[in-house]
Amino acid sequence: MSAAMTLNPMLGLLAAAVGALVDYADEMLFGVLFLLAVGAAVSLVTQRNPLYCAISLVFVFLSLAGLYLLLAAPFIAAVQVIVYAGAIMVLVVFVIMLLNVEDEERRPLRLRYLIPTAITLAAVLFAEVAFILYFVHDAGPERANAAAPANTGLTANIGAGLFTTYLLPFEITSVLILMAIVGAITLARRASVLRPTDVVVPGAQVLPRHALAGAEQGDASAVITHTTAEAESALGLTNAPHRRERD
Amino acid sequence: MIPLSWYLALSAVLFTIGVAGVIIKRNVISMFMCIELMLNAVNLSLVAFSSYFRDAAGQLFVFIVMTVAAAEAAVGLGIIIAVFRNRESLDVDDASVLRN
Repeated sequence: MSAAMTLNPMLGLLAAAVGALVDYADEMLFGVLFLLAVGAAVSLVTQRNPLYCAISLVFVFLSLAGLYLLLAAPFIAAVQVIVYAGAIMVLVVFVIMLLNVEDEERRPLRLRYLIPTAITLAAVLFAEVAFILYFVHDAGPERANAAAPANTGLTANIGAGLFTTYLLPFEITSVLILMAIVGAITLARRASVLRPTDVVVPGAQVLPRHALAGAEQGDASAVITHTTAEAESALGLTNAPHRRERD
Repeated sequence: MIPLSWYLALSAVLFTIGVAGVIIKRNVISMFMCIELMLNAVNLSLVAFSSYFRDAAGQLFVFIVMTVAAAEAAVGLGIIIAVFRNRESLDVDDASVLRN
């Protein structure tokens, strides 16, 4: 009897807690995503290894996708995950791996006033935004529209807008992507293997003498050969298999 | 219902962090990622406005911004690869002169 007496208020408390959880689920979800996004963004700025920066940025993108869902914009949330967290970040990680980037060196900054400048400018920018938010906040047209059903973010509505009112920007976007493809290929193409400062003697191969088997160490005078076969015999590699053939 | 200003505040915070990152960072790829963060902050405020004013135009803008960001990623990373091939470095201070 007494156990039930003590259990009842606890159950009531639990029910109240669950009720509050349900009532404020949106706010709590927003809070979690807010903290995740800001934490990951701070981590993005403070990490020194670009790969860790990329992983932090993926977390920012994912928490923003969650916020888009909270804003009843499922299409944009899906595109956020697919295009940003998927395509763009894979491209960035691919370039990081390709270029074999190591940690940023801790060499002294050339411009020592850069970090205080950045923080000051960021504070000024944030103050401006806070000022605008403070005065725009009670404009309140969202209360007028809050009763309407939230179907603006559905894929059908976005598609209808994209192919009727905003058809021209959409087509211009496709031209932009074509230009980006051509530009990326042109930029990343290897124009030539040689640097502009290299001197090329046609048909000649120049080796330092100490590269030859049996030659004295440190003898850097040159051996000049004119064919691959000559170079192989000079190196004592006549019967060695080619790397190409081994592969 | 979460107030609109919360989303705008988060957007402002993210944008500010992105600006600070672009100024502080020395590595080209890290700076590039900070720019992506700024684009995302703007996207968040566009989607928030679109959702609160019940107007799909904001989300269309976000769609187009994402397309531009993808194109920017392709061209930007191409430039980064070209610069790295010339300088053997990703530090922006090493690439402060356009001349080879």
